[in-house]
Amino acid sequence: MDTLQFLADGFAIAFQWHNLLFALVGVIIGTAVGVLPGIGPMSGVALLIPVTATMTSGMPTGAAAASSIILLAGVYYGAMYGGSTTSILLNTPGESSSVVTTLDGYQMAQQGRAGAALAISAIGSFVAGIISLIGLVLLAEPLSNVAIKFGPAEYFSLMLLGLAAVSGLAGKSMTKAIMMTVFGLMLGTIGIDAVSGIARFTYDQPILFSGLEFLTIAVGLFALGEVIKTILEKDEETGSIAKINRILPTKQDMKDSSVPIVRGSLLGFFIGVLPGAGATLASFFSYTTEKKFSKNPESFGKGNIAGVAGPESANNAASGGAMIPLLTLGIPGSGTTAILMGALIMYNIQPGPLLFDEHPEVAWGLIASMFIGNLMLLVLNMPLVRVFAKIIQTPKKYLLPMIIAISFFGVYAVQYTTFDLYLLLGCGVLGYLLSKNDFPVAPLVLALVLGPMIENNMRRALTISNGDFSIFVTKPLSLIFIVAAAAWLIVPLLLKLKGRKIIINEED
Amino acid sequence: MNKKFDTVAGIAFLLIGILFFVESQKISDSAYGSSVGPKIFPMGLGIILTALSIRLLYETFKIKTEDTVKEKLQYKKFFIIFGSAILYAFLLEKIGYVVSTFLFLLIAFQTVERGKIIYSIIISTVFSVGVYYMFSELLGGSLPGFPLF
Repeated sequence: MDTLQFLADGFAIAFQWHNLLFALVGVIIGTAVGVLPGIGPMSGVALLIPVTATMTSGMPTGAAAASSIILLAGVYYGAMYGGSTTSILLNTPGESSSVVTTLDGYQMAQQGRAGAALAISAIGSFVAGIISLIGLVLLAEPLSNVAIKFGPAEYFSLMLLGLAAVSGLAGKSMTKAIMMTVFGLMLGTIGIDAVSGIARFTYDQPILFSGLEFLTIAVGLFALGEVIKTILEKDEETGSIAKINRILPTKQDMKDSSVPIVRGSLLGFFIGVLPGAGATLASFFSYTTEKKFSKNPESFGKGNIAGVAGPESANNAASGGAMIPLLTLGIPGSGTTAILMGALIMYNIQPGPLLFDEHPEVAWGLIASMFIGNLMLLVLNMPLVRVFAKIIQTPKKYLLPMIIAISFFGVYAVQYTTFDLYLLLGCGVLGYLLSKNDFPVAPLVLALVLGPMIENNMRRALTISNGDFSIFVTKPLSLIFIVAAAAWLIVPLLLKLKGRKIIINEED
Repeated sequence: MNKKFDTVAGIAFLLIGILFFVESQKISDSAYGSSVGPKIFPMGLGIILTALSIRLLYETFKIKTEDTVKEKLQYKKFFIIFGSAILYAFLLEKIGYVVSTFLFLLIAFQTVERGKIIYSIIISTVFSVGVYYMFSELLGGSLPGFPLF
């Protein structure tokens, strides 16, 4: 079996001592990011890109990319672990995918079962991580074999589908979400056109020739935007932290939660694979499913352990599932994976079907490191949960200015221009204003990453067809993608017209 | 939903859309061996954004004015920190990373919450010196370290 051989090679890479260290640092920072309210996985990953870029600067490109993506992915799934801690102990979710965990988790903490809730969510996350990884291993090769047959027309339509999916599910107003997507695409056109070499929208400013740096915009919109929000808006009083008495769950707890964990993992994985539907949606779905399947649904919201186990497994599985479209198709399905993709592109590594052929060390190294990372998280989280809970008490006074300083350092260390620092500050204000008024910023970042690729594929397809736009609908696969993209936008609108409430996906 | 912001944003994006369309017309149309030049994509985006902005404005006008809950925002703190961040960006290359970072952190710490000045000084120093040495000495990166007098 080829896959097993590749996986073994991947483990050989992931077990290199520096990659083990990178995975460990990644998951620890990720857990901290998840615990701290205000910093979501997206800003956590964005902030760490420059740091990893300098840490790996001495290595050859392939190895450097593998190491840094191992760390960054660790932050991503580590944050899913950490987010549950605050939900359970404080009733304040660290990030949006842990919102439902508060319902039963906090109740359990009130009943003195905080330790059990934390342990179950750690175990559930671990199982989910492993299940989604098995799915990733099984699906990666076949999917990339299909994708390798795609021509530019198929790629264009597929990316359109990705953008439509994210815009259709993000935020309260779809008009605003699509506007943000188009705006992101526009920002992506600034600079020298890769095909013709013609400068566009640069107005003879040399600094604009290479385009706006994606990293600066992402850090500004997410990390700085959140800092500005916290500075401006007086934060609510944080409640008292529930005591953790006993960490290990009882046998009964394990029995009650084993089925929800498996169910949540599978559900979360498939939701994660779908572009646009991320961890938040997965956890909501899992909660309602568990309630439906439960023998006594009225106990939900009163400290039912299944209400913690299911959603927590689901959001972790979703973050694993989200890696599939990213790695095999080169299409990120969420804001965080868009940032991961931007990181890979910074190393001149193009995610997509060729990734598995051209850079197997990156693809399989990452997959193998996720096995190890999940194990590390389980080992770390069980005994150290008290320590992580303490992080919440980090005074805002020191945290906020330090985030600004870290983003300054990160942007400057990669770009070496003060122009990017001003751009960073501008994006921070913009990010705050936009997301405060329900203009989702995740589609903007996604569009900024995908923009140049969409345009190139569109132009290549049109060159093949001699400028005939019908190429996108006459190729069967491309047509399917376009129809799916349209459906993604139209179906929620129809549901809204019927007065149905739709769950929307907040930032994740 | 904030009606005023949506209106302003709608108009702003409308202008951006139109501007993008107009400016894209100036891009040369030459494309070697291809019938599709570098102009089409930005032009299309300009048209779509213009259309969406009009739709947003229409949606916004349809909503009846609701009484907005006035939030108390801490503008003073924000402007002090933001101002010092701009100054930080401006001074970074002039007086070096260590000094500018130290000053920025000290001001920002004290702005968020007064008091405990000793702690603030210690943390600012450790952060600015620590990051500088970690980065330029251990990792071999380059940062403008100190004033160049």
